[in-house]
Order: sequence, then structure tokens, then C-alpha cells
Amino acid sequence: MTGGTEESAVSPDGAAFGNQEFMTAMVNILEDFAVEQERLEAMPRAVMNILEDAAAEKERLEEAQRAMLNLLEDFDVERERTRTANEELRTTLENLRRAKEAAEAANRELEAFSYSVSHDLRAPLRAIDGFSLALVEDYGNTLDEDARDYLGRIRAATQKMGQLIDDLLKLSRLTRGDMKITKIDITGLAEEIAAELRTAQPDRHVTFRIAPRLQGRGDANLLRVALQNLVGNAWKFTSKKPEAVIEVGSAQAKGVTAFYVRDNGAGFDMTYADKLFGTFQRLHTDRDYPGTGIGLSIVQRVVHRHGGSVWAEGEPGKGATFWFTLG
Amino acid sequence: MGKEKVILLVEDNPDDVMLTKRAFRRCHIPIRIEVAEDGVEALDYLFCSGKWHDRCPETDPQVMLLDLKLPRVSGLEVLKKVRSEPRTHHLPVVILTSSREEEDVFRGYDLGANSYIRKPVDFESFVRAIGQLGMYWLELNEPPVKRDPRGADDH
Repeated sequence: MTGGTEESAVSPDGAAFGNQEFMTAMVNILEDFAVEQERLEAMPRAVMNILEDAAAEKERLEEAQRAMLNLLEDFDVERERTRTANEELRTTLENLRRAKEAAEAANRELEAFSYSVSHDLRAPLRAIDGFSLALVEDYGNTLDEDARDYLGRIRAATQKMGQLIDDLLKLSRLTRGDMKITKIDITGLAEEIAAELRTAQPDRHVTFRIAPRLQGRGDANLLRVALQNLVGNAWKFTSKKPEAVIEVGSAQAKGVTAFYVRDNGAGFDMTYADKLFGTFQRLHTDRDYPGTGIGLSIVQRVVHRHGGSVWAEGEPGKGATFWFTLG
Repeated sequence: MGKEKVILLVEDNPDDVMLTKRAFRRCHIPIRIEVAEDGVEALDYLFCSGKWHDRCPETDPQVMLLDLKLPRVSGLEVLKKVRSEPRTHHLPVVILTSSREEEDVFRGYDLGANSYIRKPVDFESFVRAIGQLGMYWLELNEPPVKRDPRGADDH
């Protein structure tokens, strides 16, 4: 029924073709056109896709570039940091060099100072002593008892000062010079010192108990000085004991071997134990036990130079024990 | 007795000069003590120059007592010069000083000192030291023999 209607709508001029053929051809053309159009329509999409891909690619490239830049930046920062570190190292080295120079200069100054002390400080003392004696010798019979007593005191004081200067120099010398560390026969050293003391004062009765085979590592000269002071002290502070005993030995203390010098002499009050090792510090009067108060500072300095420690125990009237380690 | 004996005392401290002279007197050592107050004067004395230009070189000192710390030319410099000159090469030199610094003792002997004595503070010890020193260098010790460098007899 429908075809009938369309047929009637077609112009009568299409009579050269059959109606049906015309329609088919038309449809074909239209179909071809649609395909073509579809193809055409697809084209921009493809272009768009391509463009889209390109943009992504660009984005990736940019990202890579950014990463690269970051890397370079990091590299710069790193380089800067290295430069700063180098600079700091150079400054530190420079400071170290300056400190070393300053220390050397101070050392030279100290040398000059002790030279001056040794030479210049003693000369006037010699004059004071010499001319005091000249007065006594040349004018003794015109001086009364008091005047002679005063002159005697002047001379005693100058000699004491001379001793102080010598001891002070000894102490300053101990901080100078290199140490030569070897194995030390401490027993032998103590026996030698004991023999020296006996020779110097043969009338003293002192029993020495020196443990056999005591050994340590240290500088022979410095350790001799330290032991001379410790054993010498024990000798001095037992001078009022009829039966003096001096012991030298070793024991384990705080995990290391500690050596000790023990006596049954005057001892000391532990309240003042921290003052024992101070330079010019004394716990006894000069009249009771003469000394300059430098011996134990010397001991302490020697022990410290060996990286060890020194301490003392005592009780008034019962004696003292001095301990030391050699690091 | 032979010629008068002479000691050259090189010492800049007038107190020490007085005390040293006194110590010699106390030891009853008959001696003439010539004093040079610094290194320059000491060398002038020994080589008959400067203020000592008319000193007779025949009366050379028996021994020179040399302090180390001296104005202008130091004791060690004097010693060096003395040992380098044929005229004074054999002169007995006793360093008499306050210093007991190891370096001074070492350099003193190194430069050819014959003896090194440290002046004690205590004057009695000093007198004893001077007495022994005088006895040794003026009485016991046979002084060096003088020879003309060319070997000719100069008398």
C-alpha cells in the first residue's frame, strides 16, 4: 500500500529510468556518501587522538626535563654543600695550625721564662746570702745576739727560696721533653732509691719491704723522679718513728695494676687529702718535716703524663699509702 | 815563685764580681782578677783590643771564668770565638753561671768548655766551690804550652 503512495509521489519526468532502479542507485550513492562521511568524521578524531598522544608525550618530556632540572638543582645544592664542607675543613685546619703555632710559641716563652727564673732569680739571692754572711764574718764582734740572729734568718730564707726556685724548675722541666716508654723494673728502681737514702742517712733505722718482680711501662727518668719523691717522702715522714717500715708493692685496683708506697710515719688527715698534690701545698710545718711542697705535684704530673692516676690514704700518726697507676 | 797568676772573670753583675773576689780572698788564693763586664770586653781583653789594646799578651790568664748570660755578646758566643782562634784555642774555660738548664750545659761542653760550675745560692758553698776551682785550675792543672804557630822560638 505504501509503495503505491510513493509511486504516485514521484514525478512523471523520471520515466527514462525505471522507478525502482533510480531509487536503488540513489540509496547506493547515499550509502557511499555516508561511509565517506563516516570516514571523514573519523579523521578529526584520529587527528585529535594523535594530538592528544602528542600532548601526553610532551607532558612526559616536560616531566623528564623537570626531573632533570631538579637533579641538576640537587647536584648544585650538593656541590655547594661539599664546597661549604671543604671550606669548613680548611678553616678547621687553619685554626689547628694556628693553635699549634700558639702552643709552640707558648712553649718557647715558657722555656725563656724558666731560663730567666733559673738565672736571674738566683743571682740576687746569692747576693743577699753572700753579703749577709760578709756582715757576720767582718762585723760579727760588733753585732749583738739579735742582729746575728736576724742575719741567720735572712740567710735561711734566701736558701729556702733558692730551693723553691730549683724545685719549681724541676716541675716545669717535667712537662717538657718527650717520653720514651719502655718496660720498667720498678722493684729494682725502688731498691736503688732505698740504697741511696740509706747512704745519705746511715744513722736511720728503716725496714724496706719491696715486693719482687714489680713491672710497669713508662719513661724511666720520669718514673725514677716520681718514685724518688714517694719513697723519699716515706723516708722523711717516718723520721720520728723508732721502727720505720716502708713498703713498695702492687695490687689490683679498678681493674688495673696499681703500685703503692706505704709507710708507718706521720700520716695525714684525710680531710685534706685533696690538697696533697697541689703545688706548694703542705700539710706539715717546715719545722716538723722540711720541704717545699712540690714533691707530690711532681709525682702527680709524672703519673698524669703516663695517663694514670694517683691517690692517697692516710691517718694521722699511723702512716700513709700512696697509690698510682700507669694508665 | 813564677809569674803572677791571672784569672779573667767575665761577669756583668757587680754583686757577683764582689762575691767572687771575696771568695778567692777567703780561700787565700793569691791571684789577680781581671774583670770583663760583657762578652765584648772579654774578647777585647783576650785579643788585646779596644780598651785593652795595650795589655801585654804575655800575661794571658790562667783560666777564664765565664758567665753565660751577658750583655751584647753572650758567654757561649765568647766561647765559640775563643775556641776558633789559634791564640786562645787552648785557654782553659770554666763556665760559672746560675743556670743549670740542660741546653746550656750541653752547648757549653759542645763548644769546648773545660768545666761547668753552677753558682750555688749559699755563699759558703760558693766559697768552697771557688776554693776547689782555684786549687785545681791554678795549682794542680798544668796550663797549656804556648807555641809560636810557625814553630819559631819567640824568646
